[in-house]
Amino acid sequence: MESDEDDFVFYGTPIEREDDLTSRKKKAIAEASGQLRTLPAWKQEVRDEEGRRRFHGAFTGGYSAGYYNTVGSKEGWAPQSFKSSRKNRAEVKEQNILNFLDEDEKAEMEGRLLGTTSQFDTFGFTAAEIARKQAEKEQKQRPSIIPGPAPDEIVVPATESVGVKLLLKMGWSRSRSIKDSHSDALYDARRQARRAFLAFSSDDPAVKITESELIKGDSENFPEQLVDDDQFSKSTPVFVLNPKEDLYGLGFDPYKHAPEFREKKRSRLSSKRGPGYSKNFSTRDRKAAPGFGIGALEELDAEDEDVYATGFEIEEAYVQEVEEPTTMSLENQRKKEQKNQGDLPGFRVASNSDYKMERFDSPLIPKDFVPHHKFSGPLEINCKSYEVTPPEVSPPEDGNLKLLIEGVANLVAKCGKLYEDLSREKNQTNPLFSFLSGGTGHDYYARKLWESQQKCNDQTSRQLDGKMPPSVQRLTAESRGQILGETPLEKSAQDPSSTIASTDIQLQFNLTDTFTKSTSFNELMDEEKPFKDDLAKQERFEQFLKEKYKGGLRTASSSLAGDMSEAARAQERLSFEAAAEAIEKGRQGRGSKSSILSSMDFIPGGVMQFTSSEVESKKDPLVEDILRKKMYPKREEFQWRPSPLLCKRFDLIDPYMGKPPPAPRIRSKMDSLIFTSDSVKVTKVDETVSSKKDISPFQQSANKDMTKSITENETEVDVEVENIERPVDLYKAIFSDDSDDEGEDPSIKRVVNQEKKAEVANTALSRLIAGDFLESLGKELGIEVPPDVPYPMQKSRNVASQKEIVNEDAKTDILKSENNGKIKSPLIRSQDYDSSSEEERSRKGTNREKSEEYKKVKTSGTRRRDYSSSSSLEEERSRKRSRHHRRKRHDAGSDSSSDDDRDRYSSRSKGRRTGSSREKSRGSEKHSKHHKHRKHESPSRSSRYINEKDSSHSKREKKRRE
Amino acid sequence: MSVEDLPRKEVNVLKGHEGAVLAARFNADGNYCLSCGKDRTIRLWNPHRGIHIKTYKSHAREVRDVHVTPDNSKLCSCGGDRQVFYWDVATGRVIRKFRGHDGEVNGVKFNEYSSVVVSAGYDQSLRAWDCRSHSTEPIQIVDTFADSVMSVSLTKTEIIGGSVDGTVRTFDIRIGREISDNLGQPVNCVSMSNDGNCILAGCLDSSLRLLDRSTGELLQEYKGHTNKSYKLDCCLTNTDAHVTGGSEDGFIYFWDLVDASVVSRFRAHTSVVTSVSYHPKENCMVTSSVDGTVRVWRT
Repeated sequence: MESDEDDFVFYGTPIEREDDLTSRKKKAIAEASGQLRTLPAWKQEVRDEEGRRRFHGAFTGGYSAGYYNTVGSKEGWAPQSFKSSRKNRAEVKEQNILNFLDEDEKAEMEGRLLGTTSQFDTFGFTAAEIARKQAEKEQKQRPSIIPGPAPDEIVVPATESVGVKLLLKMGWSRSRSIKDSHSDALYDARRQARRAFLAFSSDDPAVKITESELIKGDSENFPEQLVDDDQFSKSTPVFVLNPKEDLYGLGFDPYKHAPEFREKKRSRLSSKRGPGYSKNFSTRDRKAAPGFGIGALEELDAEDEDVYATGFEIEEAYVQEVEEPTTMSLENQRKKEQKNQGDLPGFRVASNSDYKMERFDSPLIPKDFVPHHKFSGPLEINCKSYEVTPPEVSPPEDGNLKLLIEGVANLVAKCGKLYEDLSREKNQTNPLFSFLSGGTGHDYYARKLWESQQKCNDQTSRQLDGKMPPSVQRLTAESRGQILGETPLEKSAQDPSSTIASTDIQLQFNLTDTFTKSTSFNELMDEEKPFKDDLAKQERFEQFLKEKYKGGLRTASSSLAGDMSEAARAQERLSFEAAAEAIEKGRQGRGSKSSILSSMDFIPGGVMQFTSSEVESKKDPLVEDILRKKMYPKREEFQWRPSPLLCKRFDLIDPYMGKPPPAPRIRSKMDSLIFTSDSVKVTKVDETVSSKKDISPFQQSANKDMTKSITENETEVDVEVENIERPVDLYKAIFSDDSDDEGEDPSIKRVVNQEKKAEVANTALSRLIAGDFLESLGKELGIEVPPDVPYPMQKSRNVASQKEIVNEDAKTDILKSENNGKIKSPLIRSQDYDSSSEEERSRKGTNREKSEEYKKVKTSGTRRRDYSSSSSLEEERSRKRSRHHRRKRHDAGSDSSSDDDRDRYSSRSKGRRTGSSREKSRGSEKHSKHHKHRKHESPSRSSRYINEKDSSHSKREKKRRE
Repeated sequence: MSVEDLPRKEVNVLKGHEGAVLAARFNADGNYCLSCGKDRTIRLWNPHRGIHIKTYKSHAREVRDVHVTPDNSKLCSCGGDRQVFYWDVATGRVIRKFRGHDGEVNGVKFNEYSSVVVSAGYDQSLRAWDCRSHSTEPIQIVDTFADSVMSVSLTKTEIIGGSVDGTVRTFDIRIGREISDNLGQPVNCVSMSNDGNCILAGCLDSSLRLLDRSTGELLQEYKGHTNKSYKLDCCLTNTDAHVTGGSEDGFIYFWDLVDASVVSRFRAHTSVVTSVSYHPKENCMVTSSVDGTVRVWRT
């Protein structure tokens, strides 16, 4: 800083404005005296660091106001926050005008406030107000221990409302409900009288009891008394304060957590006081099921409903006891209500009433009345009017007129005579319509009308079912056929279902397939169309059905199936026979829908299938039951893998000990949602297969191979996406120290890793996230993922001896160790590293001979090398004959077809992309795991490594090819 | 054992539960019994003297099943709150809560060493929980069932679960096999015969089925009672001579094991008999019912 200042040269002295200076000085003095600081907050002014008043706002502000630029009050414009009136009821005050007046305004208004004088204080409000004010004042004068204003409940109005006064004058006493005191005036009086009587008769309590019992027998008076007594406690609650009879502290409720005891005590008390007293304390909600409320945060749903609460009544003796008086009181009440309903006090129901219901008898029906109404329908009118057939008349010359006549005739025939009258009326002046009223063309009109009426009648004749006299009918082909008992042609005779186009039927049929519940209509169609696939055949089948069931005229069968051979026709006939039978069965037992459907299944086939289905359809429920019994219990066996810990806890030896962990389960549904391509299935299958360990690693290597090949073919972006892994694992892969986990038990590790793997490999979301993470990480570190790594290329060229390979591996190790400092495409690198170290270990673990083989194969430089190398490893490691055998077979096959395979894989690469990514992520996961216990040479683990090794091989292979 | 020896005389009524009692179980030696119910409590009783000893409260919903270790030191229970509770008997405290079931838990059992609790849930799974470690994650989840698992039973080496999908599945830990016996009817309850050779499965078609465990053969069917909508228990007597089970009309039925004839039936409760448990040695039985009582029966 000082050096900076050295660069500037100052000339003269800076001029300060006078007022600024003075004000600032003043302020400084004020501050020094501490005046400002002592000022209240709203009087302090906001100043900047130079002591100037802070200017607030550009246009409308001005100097900042007090209260930190608010409106000048402490609260500012802040809206009043909501205050619940639930807890502090006493604090809620009604707003009145005084709340909105300033102090001086109030002072002005003092003494001029309007209020009702006590004389006119009808409802006692003013008195209450005054009393409250008085109380407040008093409180101010002598502050009590309890702070705050006196609660309203304590302050009681000094005067009574006029209503109360009136009631009191009318003889009403406090604590009695108003309504009852009036309606029961009669009974009140009676009771008074009774009391007097009792008091008069004797003072002996025993006699009293008998007396009361007598009254009880009366059953009118006694309950009344009870009810009345109750109403004492029922009415205005202010006066029904429970007297404090116990010695507990004020407000202490000994039954707070045991309400049932309160009930007990009450009942005891009431029993002391006398029978029937406790009826109002009867536990009413006892019966409301075993009600166990659920927490406030829980929702009441289906599982909470009381499934057991149906029909049965829970037997609880003491509830019954308590309930007895309740029912009694209920009865009493009912009686009372009965009595009260009809009459007013002082009135009686009249024994004979003046009012009489007038009743009218129903009219007498004449004996000859027939309760059948004949409609004077237009059709019949027409028929009558043209009973005599009008003679044939030649149409008028005028074409238009002829058309008009015909049209009108048609309409009239259809709509009735009314239409004729209407149109005649309307068109009286129109010369064209003169034919209606006997003008030109009337004869022709009459003839036409008759004809069209005939037509109409024909159409309706079927519905009217012979209502029309047959003599009137003109014989059509159909009617003649009907008379002769012929089967009408398909179109008109068959039920509407069959007239529907076949496509419709198919559609509906499909619908019925999907919705198992079908209407009978659809069912019918199902039955009718067992050969829906073959339309011609279906047609023939329908024909067959017609012949079979309906009789009538038959067409030569050759017309339909003319081009069929005799044998074929016979066979078809058989199948038709069977189908018809099945349909019949289906019709009989609509319930057995399955049989119908099953009969549909064999459709295109011949007789054999058909008969089998027929057997099925014949099944009786009884037979089915037997069959079911035969079918069940059905035993199946599956493989099941108990977790090692479970075995341990059950003190059993893990049957799967030493075997590779099972395929990871798919945890989330997201997986299946995201990976819907067929590749998923392939990989899944792959996984399960590998878990069973029945398969040679060759196949896996092939799988890996192809996935890898796909990956390599993808663009760089895809590579990035595929190399997704959990970020944490990635960090581990890069930075973790190999030695830190050495001491652990590898088997346990594997289990843990297995789980982790499952998570990582299968959680698609995390993978996606990780992908993004990787991208960002790469950007941050400033590394771009190179499309190809020089190392594998080098390796591929290096096809010399085993030693060299080892050297290579050493190199990679070095490379890897360098990675910690200089990260260079961590993913690809790590994979390479993984594979290489894998090789190293496997090589170490195996003997010389094997490595020789390996070398030999390597030099061959073909794809085959991969397989054989893996197989050699396999040979070394696996002791299972079967697997061995199988592998060999695979090997033999693969040699010839490897090239083909490759082609196939590449062509399928698109579909496999997702799968490959999964594969890869798993691989990389393995890698991180492998990192941890690299130093452990456990033979059991090598089985897992095989895959990785294979994949690494194949990968290298791929690179080379590129 | 003759019919006269069947426990048909009511000696004690254990009252205390409010609402339905969903299960009643003898402990291993038969001196005590446990009951649990809709009132969210588990109660420990001395059934022979009719004394209520202790109440265990912690469940948030109804308790559906309870089991006690052979040494009477720990309890496990489960219920509508989807949790399995692991209790200390003496203090009445919950030692551990096992969460993980996605639905109500219908049944729990301890294994022989009381080291594992296996629970059967509405979420179509059996879950094994570790009592030894502090892990609250299940050791194993068996989710091969196709429907709600209603009941679970354990032997030394096997886990047997009965499900609404109609299967009784035996998971043999020793050989790592799952044996599924499909009965074609929803299975409510699985219980082992005392000789360990048979499984008694209570089905929702109002019948009990006795299965041979080695072959999966259906040995016998016991009918006469009604069981169509509730989860009812069934069991064999301690001599394996009779089969007993409750009915939805409040009756208790005894069948002859071999010829499946109803040798005795009597009305025990006013409502659905949810659970029956037979004394391991004596001719004694406890039954629980929706009427809120647990009743103790003797000859």
